[in-house]
Amino acid sequence: MDPAKEQNSQALVLSEDIYNGITELIQDLSASTGAKSVVFCESNGYAVTQVGTIKGLDLPAIASLAANNFSATARMADMLGEKSSFKYLYHEGDNINLYISNVGFDFILLVIFEVDVALGMVRIYTKKTINALAGLLQSASHKDAQAKQFLDAEFKNLLSEELNRSLNF
Amino acid sequence: MFINRALQEISFKIVYYGPGLSGKTTNLEYIHRHLAPSMRSDLVTLNTREERTLYFDFMQLELGRIKGQKPRFNLYTVPGQVYYRFSRKIILKGVDGLVFVADSQRSRMGENLDSLLDLERNLIEMGFSLETFPWVIQYNKRDLRDVETIETMQAKLNFFGTAHFEAVAPNGTEVLSTLKTIITNVITKLELVA
Ligand SMILES: Nc1nc2c(ncn2[C@@H]2O[C@H](COP(=O)(O)OP(=O)(O)O)[C@@H](O)[C@H]2O)c(=O)[nH]1
Ligand SMILES: [Mg+2]
Repeated sequence: MDPAKEQNSQALVLSEDIYNGITELIQDLSASTGAKSVVFCESNGYAVTQVGTIKGLDLPAIASLAANNFSATARMADMLGEKSSFKYLYHEGDNINLYISNVGFDFILLVIFEVDVALGMVRIYTKKTINALAGLLQSASHKDAQAKQFLDAEFKNLLSEELNRSLNF
Repeated sequence: MFINRALQEISFKIVYYGPGLSGKTTNLEYIHRHLAPSMRSDLVTLNTREERTLYFDFMQLELGRIKGQKPRFNLYTVPGQVYYRFSRKIILKGVDGLVFVADSQRSRMGENLDSLLDLERNLIEMGFSLETFPWVIQYNKRDLRDVETIETMQAKLNFFGTAHFEAVAPNGTEVLSTLKTIITNVITKLELVA
């Protein structure tokens, strides 16, 4: 198989165990910091999971913005001669603050909290959570052939029907 | 592509590429208008004051479960202007399929080709090429008067003979068939490799 093909077929696969582990860790983070919301996403902009009290948060859109924002900053760091990306992005608003960190290469963690929560505390707990997440995610796989076994001709046909139905062809 | 086995979701990234003002944002706006709200996220647009795409547009399309899996498609546009080349590279990260939106106006042929070559250059840096990557080409603005013929556009731009569409994005002509075809091509490619 040529390298381009192989690369293109690579999917990042998150197992059920790892997903549950992530959810637990960000629930703990949310509880210990009193954050309004904690969002976990993949670095190409895919939402993974979210906990918190913000109603009607558009998770896919938030994940996409956070991840691309982080990539843009990483690119800036690179241009400025930084070997590793900036470790976090911090936005201070009138009502809420945003704290965005990378978790390894493949994931992004977003903590949303009210301005009266101490940043120092958020940083300490977030750092602990990131270390725990990094350990957990070491087994997240880029090459999991089994995970893609359902992508066969039958899947393609059913997808085609579903597209016709949902796009009202 | 991203697979979440706990939620049985499989997500893909599709990027609309092309020169500035060719109609990329208009494609997404039509798709967003046309879809049932339960199937899509908000449409996020990051514009400059002149209403041009500054960084990207984004929306997610979510289909019903297929063989237990929920397919999701993250749709992006890139800013076409030459000076946003770094923004384009960032948006291309992890792309699974591409729609090249060309402007059919005769005066825009140079920009179309420049943008397509810029795309190929970026893909090559990522270890891909238009020759094998899933992509389709959309000849947009077919309603305007001074448009290039399809034959000429095909000869100048579609050098790998991928699927092409003659579109009028504001009224949706060929917008959904473009989307459907790129999704199908992405899945076909995976099926071949699996
Ligand atoms: N006449 C005509 N105008 C179009 C068409 N598609 C887009 N436009 C217009 O072209 C302009 C640029 O479109 P936009 O989607 O913002 O371009 P982008 O830079 O590729 O995102 C807008 O004023 C659109 O309304 C088309 O098929 N026909
Ligand atoms: Mg645009």
